[in-house]
Amino acid sequence: MTDVFEYIQFVLAPQMITGLALGVAVVLVAIGLTIIFGLLDVINMAHGEFYAVGAYVALALGTSGVSFWLLLIIVPLIMIPIGYIVERGLIQRVFNMPDRHVTTLLLTFGLGLVVEEALKVVFGPNTQRPATPIPGAIEVMGIILPTYRLFLIAVGFAIVAAVAIVVNKTRLGALVRAAAFDRNMAASLGVPVSLVFAGTFAFGVALAGLAGVLLAPIYSVFPTMGRDFVFLAFTVVIVGGMGSISGAVVAGLLITQVQAISSLIVSPVWSDPIVFSIMVLVLVVRPQGLFGRLGHA
Amino acid sequence: MLRKTVVLTSLLATAAFTGPAIAADPIKIGVVTPLSGTYTGIGQQVRWGLELATKEVNAAGGIMGRQIELIFEDEEANPAVAVQKAEKLFEVQKVDFLTGTVNSGSTLAVGQTAERAGKLIATTVSFADSITGDKCSPNVFRVNARAGQQSTALAAWVVKQKPKAKVYFLGPDYEMGRSTVSTFKKTVEGLGAVSAGEVFAPLDSKDYTQYFGQLRQAKPEVLYTSVAGNDTVRLLTQMQDFGLLGNMLVVGASGTVTSQNITAVGAAANGFGTGVGYSTQIDSPENKKFVDAFKAANKADPDLYGADSYGLIYFYKAAVEKAKSTATDKVRDAMRGLDWMTPQGKKTMRAGDHQAVQPMYVVRVNDGQFKIVGNVSGEEAVGADICTRF
Repeated sequence: MTDVFEYIQFVLAPQMITGLALGVAVVLVAIGLTIIFGLLDVINMAHGEFYAVGAYVALALGTSGVSFWLLLIIVPLIMIPIGYIVERGLIQRVFNMPDRHVTTLLLTFGLGLVVEEALKVVFGPNTQRPATPIPGAIEVMGIILPTYRLFLIAVGFAIVAAVAIVVNKTRLGALVRAAAFDRNMAASLGVPVSLVFAGTFAFGVALAGLAGVLLAPIYSVFPTMGRDFVFLAFTVVIVGGMGSISGAVVAGLLITQVQAISSLIVSPVWSDPIVFSIMVLVLVVRPQGLFGRLGHA
Repeated sequence: MLRKTVVLTSLLATAAFTGPAIAADPIKIGVVTPLSGTYTGIGQQVRWGLELATKEVNAAGGIMGRQIELIFEDEEANPAVAVQKAEKLFEVQKVDFLTGTVNSGSTLAVGQTAERAGKLIATTVSFADSITGDKCSPNVFRVNARAGQQSTALAAWVVKQKPKAKVYFLGPDYEMGRSTVSTFKKTVEGLGAVSAGEVFAPLDSKDYTQYFGQLRQAKPEVLYTSVAGNDTVRLLTQMQDFGLLGNMLVVGASGTVTSQNITAVGAAANGFGTGVGYSTQIDSPENKKFVDAFKAANKADPDLYGADSYGLIYFYKAAVEKAKSTATDKVRDAMRGLDWMTPQGKKTMRAGDHQAVQPMYVVRVNDGQFKIVGNVSGEEAVGADICTRF
């Protein structure tokens, strides 16, 4: 019997808690993606690269002496104009073409490749890593938990809650949802639709940048880091329901728990196939995702 | 000059039947090495090492009174190009000996060319065990340590630190990762260590924390890993965050912690150990002299490729002087079992498989620098002779 308790205490519980930290990381990346997809109907393949840009901006400012806490505010503010310009300058130009999904997907995919190479030229190909802002670990009942991961879990939930409130409970959120639901109707009622779209895209990009700041100390910074989370984030968006914030949270936590627990039982190499099988299954059985689509009740 | 040539030619005509070449005739060594492409950096070290040793030998009177002449050809790290260039050197330039190939494919291919041409070659760089193993050739010698020697040296050192250690293995899930883990596991278990489990993580894993549960449960004293690049950064820093590095000895492949990622790994790399065939810190008069001369000539530190290429010239010199000839069969016989001095110390060419036996070193990271912490004798590290062709 003690063996079972030891297993739960020393293996299963830490595994689930570290899985939770990874889950929060994935949700942070997915939340911007799901907003851009759900509200703008744009599949943003460059989302991972915006995450990378956020991490690099944080790294560059961090080495020149800006404190981590300030970066959590500065970096998203720097990302907002970048996202705004990308939406107005690039995406808006192809947005009204008949094959919107294909054109925006190809455009953002190309943009992602350009950004990745640009990062390589500017910052070099080598891996870099900012110091952990809150070093140390806490020991609870024999389980060692790095303080920064606990901080990440708490901050992650706070950010997601704030985003959900903005989108679902504020007047601004209502404007955005209205524009997404029927842009012509919203426009005729006086909603500045193109401004709302650009702003929403910029908001999603800022969230990606914020995720970059928060995750860089754990996952390190290198030019191709954008590819890291983006597939998992896409899976989360599809499983949770494209555009649904609560869907992204539930799917993100669920999928990372499946990964964490399954890797105890079968070879960890299988964790990716298992996750993507869940995605395929959801697409076949419930294509709208667990929670349906935001703005399309 | 012209007169000298005329005199030489007439002398040659008369000497043609008397046999040995005249004293002024240089010994030609062909060097087929990558001077362009991905491996340029390695080719550069090969060139610097060979040129330095050649300069020293020539200044001291050459080999049996004959000067050494190096003839370079760019192999572009491509076995097909390497074969063409080697044929040209053997047939047109009539080189006496050939070296320089870097990637193992080129060494194996040029070895076959040498067999056809009836000449000898030596590699100073290629790691693949097969070159002096199941694909050994009577015409191919290797003066550097093969992959197995690095692994064996590390294993011998690990069991000296922690006899009967419980070792956990973590490798990247592809050919190189699985083969390095299985080689090390076999060696270290042969020396009395016990396996506490193994796990293969996909390449470019984000989060190694998902393996920490199994790792903790296994309670190993030693972790062996062969991850590389970004994967090393994440594995070691995440282990540090989770307090796993405290009581565990972490060792790995020679490519796990490199100059490319050591800064990013930071303090988490402290204590990481690996087996190598050369380090600039080897504390011997031969090595100090070599490092100083190398730095003065090239404005750069030598690495293992530079050191092994430097040692090769002295290997060939010793063999030719022992054979008193540059004829293939006589030099081959002389090379077998030959002892010679290199920056790493005394090396011995094993007769059975043409693999150099040399002292191996274990280095550990200390504040971002590799420091030598142990050495393993050549005999202990070299492993069995499995060559059956000669």
